[in-house]
Amino acid sequence: MRGWRSMIAGVILRAKTMDSVPELFRKWILISGAALLLCRAGIAQVASQAPASGTSSGAKRGISLASKGRCSQAVPSLKKAVAQITDKKLKYDVLMSIAHCAMGLEQTETAVRTLLELNRSFPQDPEVLYLTTHYYSDLALRASHELAATAPSSPQAQQLEAEAFESQGDWGKAITQYRMILDQNPQRHGIHYRLGRLFLTKTPADLENAKKELGEELKIDPTSAASEFLLGEIARQSGQWDDAIGHFDKAAKLDEGFSEAYLALGMSMNSAGKFTDAVAPLESYVKMQPDDPAGHYQLATAYERTGRKQDAQRQVVLQQESATKAPRTPAQP
Amino acid sequence: MTSRRSHDSGLLSRRRFLQALGLAGIGSGICAPSLFSSEPSLLFATAFEEITANISGINWTHVSGRSPMAHLPETVGAGCAFLDYDNDGWMDIYLVNSGPCDFYEPSAPLRNALYHNNRNGSFTDVTQPAGVPGNAYGMGVAVGDYDGDGFPDLYVTQYPNSILYHNNGDGTFTDVTAKAGIAAPGWATSAVWFDYDNDGRLDLFVCRFVDYSKTKLKFCGDLITGERHYCIPSIYDPMPCWLFHNNGDGTFTDVSTVSGIAQSRAKAWGAVAADLNNDGRMDLYVTNDTLPNFLFANRGKGRFEEIGVLSGVGVSSFGKPRSGMGVDAADYDQDGWIDLFEANVDQEMYSLYHNEKDGGFTDAANPNGIGVATRLMSGWGLKFLDYDNDGDIDLLLCNGHPDDTVEKRIEGVKFREPMLLFRNTGKGFENVSLQSGSIFSKPLAARGLALGDFDNDGAVDLLVSQNNGSPILLRNLAGRENHWLGIRLVGTKANMDAIGAKVTYQAGGLQRHKFKVGGGSYLSSHDPRVVLGLGQRTKIDWLEVEWPQPSGRKERFTDLPIGRYITIVEGQGKWK
Repeated sequence: MRGWRSMIAGVILRAKTMDSVPELFRKWILISGAALLLCRAGIAQVASQAPASGTSSGAKRGISLASKGRCSQAVPSLKKAVAQITDKKLKYDVLMSIAHCAMGLEQTETAVRTLLELNRSFPQDPEVLYLTTHYYSDLALRASHELAATAPSSPQAQQLEAEAFESQGDWGKAITQYRMILDQNPQRHGIHYRLGRLFLTKTPADLENAKKELGEELKIDPTSAASEFLLGEIARQSGQWDDAIGHFDKAAKLDEGFSEAYLALGMSMNSAGKFTDAVAPLESYVKMQPDDPAGHYQLATAYERTGRKQDAQRQVVLQQESATKAPRTPAQP
Repeated sequence: MTSRRSHDSGLLSRRRFLQALGLAGIGSGICAPSLFSSEPSLLFATAFEEITANISGINWTHVSGRSPMAHLPETVGAGCAFLDYDNDGWMDIYLVNSGPCDFYEPSAPLRNALYHNNRNGSFTDVTQPAGVPGNAYGMGVAVGDYDGDGFPDLYVTQYPNSILYHNNGDGTFTDVTAKAGIAAPGWATSAVWFDYDNDGRLDLFVCRFVDYSKTKLKFCGDLITGERHYCIPSIYDPMPCWLFHNNGDGTFTDVSTVSGIAQSRAKAWGAVAADLNNDGRMDLYVTNDTLPNFLFANRGKGRFEEIGVLSGVGVSSFGKPRSGMGVDAADYDQDGWIDLFEANVDQEMYSLYHNEKDGGFTDAANPNGIGVATRLMSGWGLKFLDYDNDGDIDLLLCNGHPDDTVEKRIEGVKFREPMLLFRNTGKGFENVSLQSGSIFSKPLAARGLALGDFDNDGAVDLLVSQNNGSPILLRNLAGRENHWLGIRLVGTKANMDAIGAKVTYQAGGLQRHKFKVGGGSYLSSHDPRVVLGLGQRTKIDWLEVEWPQPSGRKERFTDLPIGRYITIVEGQGKWK
């Protein structure tokens, strides 16, 4: 599984949809609020979908109880029955009934375990993914309420609040909140980084303040690969290749598993005409992310421009294969 | 390791998701103008002035035939042209319309339009006497004197067959498609006249889009309501483009296969012909929608090699094909090598491909502020031009999303979008759209863009065609503020239209050059004359014309006038 840092970096590298972000946040919040309603509606839905025939009468009884709202009785029998069920459809219905009931009964552990099992047994099932999305976001909401109730003045609570402002596009309040954290603890890791990121997210981006904050983060935490990466990306998008190369090189050295840093380093080297230098980081990247057409394309470019025509052609084939397989997303510049 | 990851890990999934979203705008928010230290020397409150139909007399309107079935051709046309069909020294106008075909039966007859320039800012519709109405679902137009008789001919691309109108030299045209053998069956889009084999005659490249017909229509839209929107072309099959060799006797030979062009199946919208590697042969850059763009490198002996991806102009920097549409070529940074421009659809940004002189190109759109400005735009007609006649090559972009329902589906993206103007400061491009007049705030369903100086004042004007709307004629006011010299080049050994010529000139401390490329923009054709901007300089010291092959002759001229057009005929050693 790709690391969280790589996921962020991937988004940054391919960034272009900033204006849609606040709307997505709003949608997310709406989803969270709908979660509790969902678990109640879901039970009835599963019951209505319950099969007429099955291999386990216990399971069917459990589903029937759940459909009548008798979840306290239903869950134990369903949990007992599920291990013996071989029929896939019945198993699906039993697990969905358990999940919906557990959510309604606020049996968090059971609900989460059942959702994990549903995701394992029925990957990519839209209903499972839908239910999972709602429940996880509801859990997150509950945890944030608990944090706010129990430790309202903690840096974590302040940070969460700042992020909430950020997600709503209220940059001013978010900045104020982050500054409050730094006033209390100027050495706290990650806050200057977040401020830097926030300045980049604004429209138009505030590059100078972003660079300043990211620089401050590196003073506090010289091992912040993410800060180096963002500084590199600012330089790359401005065509300042040497500066970009320096930052991406540091990011890759600080975190050897940071695959996107290798890609960005190779891209910047290609853009700077340093094709020979680009080969090594791009070869590293395609080993780490063999399904990403970006790596193959950039490596093909580096090979081509250093006279390795056959290697370049091979990479073009891989680039085309991976581009074809890749899910259709808005293309990148 | 743990400590440095601490700010990116260990908290809630939801937050991680939110963080990722929150980061999604870094690239798009970076503004390039800060890269330029110099302020523009001259900006204009109104660089381009719209000439309304009651003044121009251009009352013709494009009718797309928008239907509930959402046939793709409905939303992508049509093109336009400036041409001097009667050789009176004044640019006339040609406009392409839709027409009858298997998926469309117009409720009232539709036709293309030829407007004669009355030399007073107005035009007269002469379509009927000229005999150039079109006869199918029109797309674009390419103007070129294929038979070298001194009168420009018209190639009108259409679905399902295109037309070659031969200019009879008396104000009328004759449909000679059958004799010429260049009907190009299928869905033709942009076309380019250029001399690919250096025999001094203009050959024809015709872009072909997908394999399309009424029976091949696919459903894209809301499965529940049945409401359709225009499909992303990825679901249609690509088709090879056409290359026709001019036999010199009024006929053409289809060399698509033997030239190597047909080996690459296309979904082509735009094309430009230019000598990109300075080897004396004209190459072709072709933009494709949802497929990699083509760079057909002309290897001589009638053969082309497709090198788009490995030369850096085929796909995005992330290795994915985009929706290439409008295209042009020019040496914007005056390093002697022709650069390229490609417009794409929203979220993809446009690309300014700088020629690295070694067979490769680097996308310079972001450092020039073009990336951020075009993030939500979809680009069609576009052209490099020196709009303010300061000697530096600027850039004009016409935009509009292809799907008229897009606003319901994608936030921030509009069906009608304003044009963009980028001024070349000498250090890079600067977006001066908002400082250049109200037309740059006007939402348009722009498609074609033709350049032409219709009032002969040396300031190159614009003609923008709109989908299902009226064309827009724009008079250039900015170029009038500087000095200029206009040249009409007439090849004798080289092709008559001098496609591929290079003009270099010196005016005091200003030395510049311009390449005459074939085609460019989208579905459109341009004033064949070259205007040389001098800034405030009042004298041009010398001018050199390097004629394209098979001539290759260089001619230098001195004692030149300014503020007017001259004609230079190859080999005569003088101008008139």
